[in-house]
Amino acid sequence: MKSFLKHLVVALAAFLYAGPILFMVVGSFKPDADVLAEAGSIQALLPSEVTIQNYVDVFERVNFGRFFLNSLFITGSIVIWGLFVNSLAGYAFARLQWKGRDALFLLVVLLMILPYEAIAVPLFYQVSLLGWRDTYIAQILPFVANAFSIYLFYTFFLGLPRELEDASRVDGAGTLRTFFEIVVPNSKPVFATVTIVTFLFFWGFFLWPQIVTSGERVRPLPVAIATFHTLPPLKWGDILAFGVMMVAPVLIVFLVLQRWFVRGIASTGSKG
Amino acid sequence: MATIEYRNVKKVFGDDTVALEDFSLKVEDGEFVVIVGPSGCGKSTALRMLAGLESVTGGEVLIDDEVVNDLTPQERDIAMVFQNYALYPHKTVRANMDFPLRMMGIEKEEREKRIAKTADILDITDYLDRKPKQLSGGQRQRAAMGRALVRDPKVSLLDEPLSNLDAKLRVEIRAEMADLQEKIGLTTVYVTHDQVEAMTLGHRVAVLSQGRLQQCAPPQEIYDHPANLFVATFIGSPRMNVFKATLGRENDGYTLSFGDHILPFQSGRPGDDTDQLEELIDKPVLAGFRPEAFCPADEVDESRRIQGKVENAEALGHELIVYFDAGVEIHLPPEVQAREKDESRRGKQERALVARLPSARPPKSGDDITLGLNTDQVYLFDPDGRAL
Amino acid sequence: MTQPPSQRHRFRRRFNRPAFAGPVMAVPGVLGLLLFIAIPFLTAVALSFTNLRMGSPLPTEFVGLQQYQRIFADEGFRRALINTVLFAAVMVPVQTVLALSLALLLNQELKGKAFFRTVFFMPVVFPMALVAVIWELIYAPGPNGILNSFLDLVSFGTLGPVDVLHDPALALPGIMLLSLWQGVGFQMVVLLAGLQSIPGVLYEAAAVDRAGKIQQFLHITLPQLRNALIFTALVTTILAFRVYAQVEITTRGGPVDATTTVMYETVRTVFDRQQVGQASAMTVVFFFMVLAVTLIQRALVKQEREIA
Repeated sequence: MKSFLKHLVVALAAFLYAGPILFMVVGSFKPDADVLAEAGSIQALLPSEVTIQNYVDVFERVNFGRFFLNSLFITGSIVIWGLFVNSLAGYAFARLQWKGRDALFLLVVLLMILPYEAIAVPLFYQVSLLGWRDTYIAQILPFVANAFSIYLFYTFFLGLPRELEDASRVDGAGTLRTFFEIVVPNSKPVFATVTIVTFLFFWGFFLWPQIVTSGERVRPLPVAIATFHTLPPLKWGDILAFGVMMVAPVLIVFLVLQRWFVRGIASTGSKG
Repeated sequence: MATIEYRNVKKVFGDDTVALEDFSLKVEDGEFVVIVGPSGCGKSTALRMLAGLESVTGGEVLIDDEVVNDLTPQERDIAMVFQNYALYPHKTVRANMDFPLRMMGIEKEEREKRIAKTADILDITDYLDRKPKQLSGGQRQRAAMGRALVRDPKVSLLDEPLSNLDAKLRVEIRAEMADLQEKIGLTTVYVTHDQVEAMTLGHRVAVLSQGRLQQCAPPQEIYDHPANLFVATFIGSPRMNVFKATLGRENDGYTLSFGDHILPFQSGRPGDDTDQLEELIDKPVLAGFRPEAFCPADEVDESRRIQGKVENAEALGHELIVYFDAGVEIHLPPEVQAREKDESRRGKQERALVARLPSARPPKSGDDITLGLNTDQVYLFDPDGRAL
Repeated sequence: MTQPPSQRHRFRRRFNRPAFAGPVMAVPGVLGLLLFIAIPFLTAVALSFTNLRMGSPLPTEFVGLQQYQRIFADEGFRRALINTVLFAAVMVPVQTVLALSLALLLNQELKGKAFFRTVFFMPVVFPMALVAVIWELIYAPGPNGILNSFLDLVSFGTLGPVDVLHDPALALPGIMLLSLWQGVGFQMVVLLAGLQSIPGVLYEAAAVDRAGKIQQFLHITLPQLRNALIFTALVTTILAFRVYAQVEITTRGGPVDATTTVMYETVRTVFDRQQVGQASAMTVVFFFMVLAVTLIQRALVKQEREIA
């Protein structure tokens, strides 16, 4: 009885929780007029009529493909360059002895507490002076180096057994070879964590692209959906279809690699 | 093939932790030298400095008469086997062995040939394509040796390579290693805390304590002529009995008095200098007896017997080890005392003497016991622990 | 070692010394942080003492603390400060308690545990901009709106239809609710990991000592989770301070400044009014808020370590 109650509570909470998602997915397949009209009844989740017209509309009304590729290109560049740059720095801080290392590492730790919001204004000013407004580079370059990623790599590398690197050096490998051929293949968890955390953050990044982009050419998805939902005529079906297409790829990757996502997020907690 | 030399090497960690001090040692071409000592004595540091994994604070390290202080590991052409094997977990055994060869820039065909040959010698051909995780402890150990030997290095270094194996496997692989080194004739430095490994494997044994070299000599000489109290008590199991004693003269011979006992002794040990003995009379010395210096009472005349109370006895089948209290205070160097505590030898208090006797029915604890003592087998040390 | 060292060989030999390789490997990352985080921030501090306006023909002048005086005198910014602090003050306890409850629930014997965890975590992968858009629809006014129908259902018709986003009293709570929905999964996962790392022996020992469920929770679970809780509270606070996308998309700070936040005011100041100097002063204020919370968290964690 107690167990049944427990299951009931969890199931109810889960239903409330999944509600908005179900509503979005179901709504995106309904005739536009039904979305609001049926929102208050059970038909919000059980459509009386199914159509893909909303999806067609999205492509007709805006250049969705462009926005999607923009997001993919921007986020992908930040993630890939970030993995490269930040893991190298994390390794240099964790394992190599050099002058000025400790002072610079202190700087990294201090910069960890500075959120991007705190630098948006001066960065916007800098980018304006450089003439980088409305470009990809303004959306990528400032975010490649990331203090938190460096810190995550640093703590992970510190915990690796040193013997492997010793062995590699005795076997004749140089510093970079040791890093890429021995350290990196044994550090998959931290690379997964940093990839996931960085990707999620920048896939949803809104403030900076909103102030730094003006045209559609380099506009990413979050800004695009904000604009789209104010684009007359107001069609909720289309907006939901846009939303589904925007989140579906991430959601599918998440469902497939769930174990890594959960572990990655949890490990940021134990490091903080 | 190569020679190795340490010249007055010093290593300081951080600001003031001295790990190694004035360490000098020469290893000849093809020689197998074992560095042995308690944990924290600096033996691994010495090895890692030779490999280039630690910087040298002072003095010089030479390979083939060339100073290598400033060379990185990959410029030294050495191979090393690590305590935890350090096999690359993401590579198969074959890829592990291939790695150093690739770093040397050897052609693929030649690499394959050398891997096959080394695998054959070490008998690891059957699991070349497995990853380290799929191997047993002994197989991993062999694979690690394979990775070290496949490149045909000038020098091979081994850092406690057997310490992760169970006792039986350790004996087995120890024997194989001795054979292998004999066959290949590779200059080898081997670090261990296990004195049995040191004595059975080394052409010479270097005993290290608190960052200083105590003695370096062939195993038998280390055992027979320890340079000081530390070496004497560190090597040998059960360890030597050492206590405060005074030398006296009686008729035409000498006496050794300790506790309540006064035993006659002649300057029987070969190489002993009688003039030196004369100088020691009535001065405090430390006397040491190996456990085998004791014998059943009836084998010696009455004057050389010693009485005590049994504390503990271990019948090992082929021999009998007896710990007994004869009212004598045992004197050990602090490093060795620490080891005794580590190994938590219960019932072997400060007052217990150890005797190794022929196999017999073990006495009960608390029993009175009378044993003979071959006083001629005494080792004498001055109060500072130097051998006399 | 016998062949004459080529240029490339020499470089490789030098590079393999950590004293050389270290700085080279760290340079891209450190340079990036300096150029795009440290220097902009210092620039913000410097600009906050000027009257810089983008595109203004007037020369930029040093104005001392004038910008700070001006923003603190500004009704909108004061409202933004209050809203931001209020947002954090409500979100941190509510979200933490909810996340902890879910984590505790999922840490028990439960059929379909993995499925439920997935459901609760799923919103975390949703971009905030999309969440805001979906919830704007959920909050749709009129009796047909989802929220209103739901209220009608659970209150048996006593709670009338509301227009959350246009009601000054409800707009901020409305934004809190959608932020909660998106954010709770993150904390739940961190806390769940914390729960799972508590050694089971502790509970067995407590059970032997006849401690009840509640006592076990108070004397084992909470102390063991302490650092995880402090961490999630810190993250929630900082996320609350950063609130921007939700506001920009759903209410644009309205109605009548009811939902304006520090970040929202800052962006409006620089974007709509080109007031770089004034926005920089807001940035500095924002930074000090984040710094204060971070220092409190560090102090709490440190205190814990000293006790232990």
